[in-house]
Amino acid sequence: MRSILFLLLGQFLLVIAGGCGTDSPAPVGPDEFGRCADFDELRQVYWGDTHIHTNLSFDANMQGTRTSQEDAYAFARGEPIALQPYDEVGDPTRMAQIDRPLDFVMLSDHAEFLGTLEVCNDPSSPGYDNQQCIDYRNAQEFDADPDEVVFIFVEINGLTAFPPADAHYPALCGPGDVYCLEAGMDVWGEIVSGAEAAYDRSDSCQFTSFPGYEWSGGPMAKNLHRNVIFKNENVTELPYNYFDEPYAEGLWARLQEECIDAGTGCDTLTIPHNSNLSEGIYFENKMGNGQPFSAEYVEARNAMEPVIEIYQHKGASECLPGEMVSDELCGFEIIPFSNLATTNLEQITPPDPRGFLREAYGEGMKLEGSLGTNPFQYGITAGTDTHISAPGFVAEYDFKGHGGAGQPNRFLPPPEGFPDIEYLSPGGLTAVWAEENAREAIFSAIRRKETFGTSGPRIIVRMFGGWEYPSNLCSAEDLAAQGDAGGVPMGGILAPQPGSSAPMFVVSAKQDPIGAPLQRIQIVKGWLEGGEYQVKVHEVDGDPNNGASVDLDTCTPQGEGFGDLCKVWQDPDFDPTERAYYYARVVENPTCRWTTHQCVEKNYDCDNPSRDIDMDCCDPTAGLNVDWCDSIDCSNPNSLPPADARCCLPRVEPAIQERAWTSPIWYQPPS
Amino acid sequence: MLRTLVNFFLIGGLLFGAKAVYEGRRVEGPEITVRVPADATRAEVENAVGEAILLNEARRYGWDKRDPIVFTHLVRNMRFIEPNSTDGDLALYERAIEMNMQAHDPVVRSRLLYRAGEALAYVPEDRMPTREQLEAHLRAHGDRFERERRVRFQHVFLSRSKRGDALSTDASAMGEQLSTLGEGSPKGLGDPLPGLRAEQSATLSQIKDDYGAKLADVIEKAVAGVWLGPAASVYGLHFVKLIDQDPAYVPTLDIIGAEVRADRLREIRDELRKERMDALRSAYTVRIKRVP
Repeated sequence: MRSILFLLLGQFLLVIAGGCGTDSPAPVGPDEFGRCADFDELRQVYWGDTHIHTNLSFDANMQGTRTSQEDAYAFARGEPIALQPYDEVGDPTRMAQIDRPLDFVMLSDHAEFLGTLEVCNDPSSPGYDNQQCIDYRNAQEFDADPDEVVFIFVEINGLTAFPPADAHYPALCGPGDVYCLEAGMDVWGEIVSGAEAAYDRSDSCQFTSFPGYEWSGGPMAKNLHRNVIFKNENVTELPYNYFDEPYAEGLWARLQEECIDAGTGCDTLTIPHNSNLSEGIYFENKMGNGQPFSAEYVEARNAMEPVIEIYQHKGASECLPGEMVSDELCGFEIIPFSNLATTNLEQITPPDPRGFLREAYGEGMKLEGSLGTNPFQYGITAGTDTHISAPGFVAEYDFKGHGGAGQPNRFLPPPEGFPDIEYLSPGGLTAVWAEENAREAIFSAIRRKETFGTSGPRIIVRMFGGWEYPSNLCSAEDLAAQGDAGGVPMGGILAPQPGSSAPMFVVSAKQDPIGAPLQRIQIVKGWLEGGEYQVKVHEVDGDPNNGASVDLDTCTPQGEGFGDLCKVWQDPDFDPTERAYYYARVVENPTCRWTTHQCVEKNYDCDNPSRDIDMDCCDPTAGLNVDWCDSIDCSNPNSLPPADARCCLPRVEPAIQERAWTSPIWYQPPS
Repeated sequence: MLRTLVNFFLIGGLLFGAKAVYEGRRVEGPEITVRVPADATRAEVENAVGEAILLNEARRYGWDKRDPIVFTHLVRNMRFIEPNSTDGDLALYERAIEMNMQAHDPVVRSRLLYRAGEALAYVPEDRMPTREQLEAHLRAHGDRFERERRVRFQHVFLSRSKRGDALSTDASAMGEQLSTLGEGSPKGLGDPLPGLRAEQSATLSQIKDDYGAKLADVIEKAVAGVWLGPAASVYGLHFVKLIDQDPAYVPTLDIIGAEVRADRLREIRDELRKERMDALRSAYTVRIKRVP
């Protein structure tokens, strides 16, 4: 018996000590630029999602997401994953699978609570027995009281809504937050090695992963979140979050010092998102100290934030209907909330127009005049912000919920009706024009803004701006080579050309091979005229009046469209002395929105009610506050509405026009 | 994570495994009786036995009485049963244990099985794979790491949107032109399309994603050096000529080491689950009772 105990003690100590070094670290293969078999110096399109949450994010975790980062990578490569709700014995009641693999992914779990989750799940952590951890673990129970779930969710996650000066780790993190900092470093290390394991370093280059996380500052629930993406496995020691650096400029300074200037091969960018939920402060001319932007600030912002996420689950941030200029397409996926809290609680509050990108573009050009640098010269990306570990899961016909705001689907039974509040949507994708599907090429494409975002479909669009493109460029087999030679691609800055009359743009697009046909290409121009910001939307190609529609009873598309479109367009109202930008918007024929797909699939008959229960109204964690819920007594099924009011009296447009947005090409006049 | 798995159950599992290995004889462990339905299949019986052993191990190490989730759950159960009780949580919990409530509650059972499963899969440092083991793993499971074959082909496209009603006629003319092209390059022929190259290397999966299954099928069956088409896609009509192809291959460990290591670790976890479960199974005396 003594020998056995000795053996066990030895094993125990071995485990405690973390082993004796028999393990050999995984070899890290070469990653030279140009290693991929399909390398193309004229660049190809690669599809990705840089906004994904897994069970490492506190909010996703609390809402029943059990799938890991490893699962998320598997999903992106085309494998099915499990979805909540889980049943009593822990089996999932739903599954999800993407229709086509992605080319690249950056998982972006909220950095604030990476350590918190680890501490609360680690019995040997000194913070494990803290009441917050106990409450958290209780909330993980299969039959947890929804009120308790909401309580601990608000207590922990609500810390990211504190004002910057008061932002702090949860109490469970112990003196000096050391428990969470230490645990967070461990998790961060696993995130980086997980990204490494998922990265295809062979010359097949089938999948690219980037280490990253989300910095989740949202003072008073005004969203200022940013995703931090690292070019490779050389990263900062800590994933700096809102509690470490409560101002964006602090985050950028840390990243500059400890990554970009560190001489370790580290490189990084931050990607803002959901400016629509910031109550307008995302683009406010104010630094952390309350002062207006300085020249140093705008330089840092311009350098660290080349692109912005224009669209995701929580709505579009391009433009608000009725602002500045008549643009009927601005109504696309505008959610009627002003900040993160009103979104979660579904309290309808009008969004602030200053939080939309088109406004920011104008403000940026004005600031450039006084500060010498445009702080808002953003290129375009889009993402999902999935909180169910499902990168790129954007198909309208297969939406299974966001899982971070809105209805979490945490509790049984599985959703019978909508899997989320109807204002949210499946989100979009980022496309990059890069030489190959590898880290250096894709990261560089994002940095130079040769990117575009889509609302989900894989519409491909290419755009160049120059001064003397031939009018028949759309027929040229070497369109890309001529585009490069005679100008700049999307995201570029067009320098003045003396003697030229007006800039020319070539926009070439093709539909998603399994999506709807294209309807038209537009070019949106913004410029300063006597210091006043102006915007005009030009119809460039296709046919806005093609009569295409969709049958809302069956979701069958009606009418013709275009497989591909291309146009060389010259600005008819160009003033070479004023700053301007031009971006293309490529629009599909109408299709059913996800809500309509669900109603059609469920075959709701509003004249013949069949639905027994409205789960949203009766799920306290859904946080719903909708008008028809007032009349419902959830303990009495007979009091429930006779049919799903959201199908019969929809509050959202039943049909949408999916689209792609390119990064703008900027014109800068002579100084 | 490492510390999470340092627990009595792990050591208990090792206890039986170690005894079996070092003493080379059967170890007398606990005796349990497992009730299964009379018509249970062999697999169902084995599953029931495995769960019963894990639950017994979890109880032997007191998780059913120490786990905080179990504690809270039992207290909640008791407050439901005794809504007017003014007793504190601890008193209620002790009463639940006295009633043996933890033995039958499905949530407790699920929680204990979850913890047991985590412990079974824990990888100690001395089981972490060495480079030699990774090399062997790559050799043994090359299919898991195989890269899809690539085809290099030439491509001429005619746009339906541009050519409209003339598409079919234009395709006939293009087919004739290509048939006389010989080894010449098709550069400049046909219509441009974003991302389309006159000559490119791609996997069949990529071709399918980019242009649809029809074109991928044509290329998959193509013989090198012959122009094929027109094949239809949502964009129009395509002509393709296969130039050559690189067969599917398995990269070396130096290239995909991290990927191989992650795969091997998944496998090691499965092996450990089985080893530890087998050790427990052999140590236990299990009586099966079939009940109607």
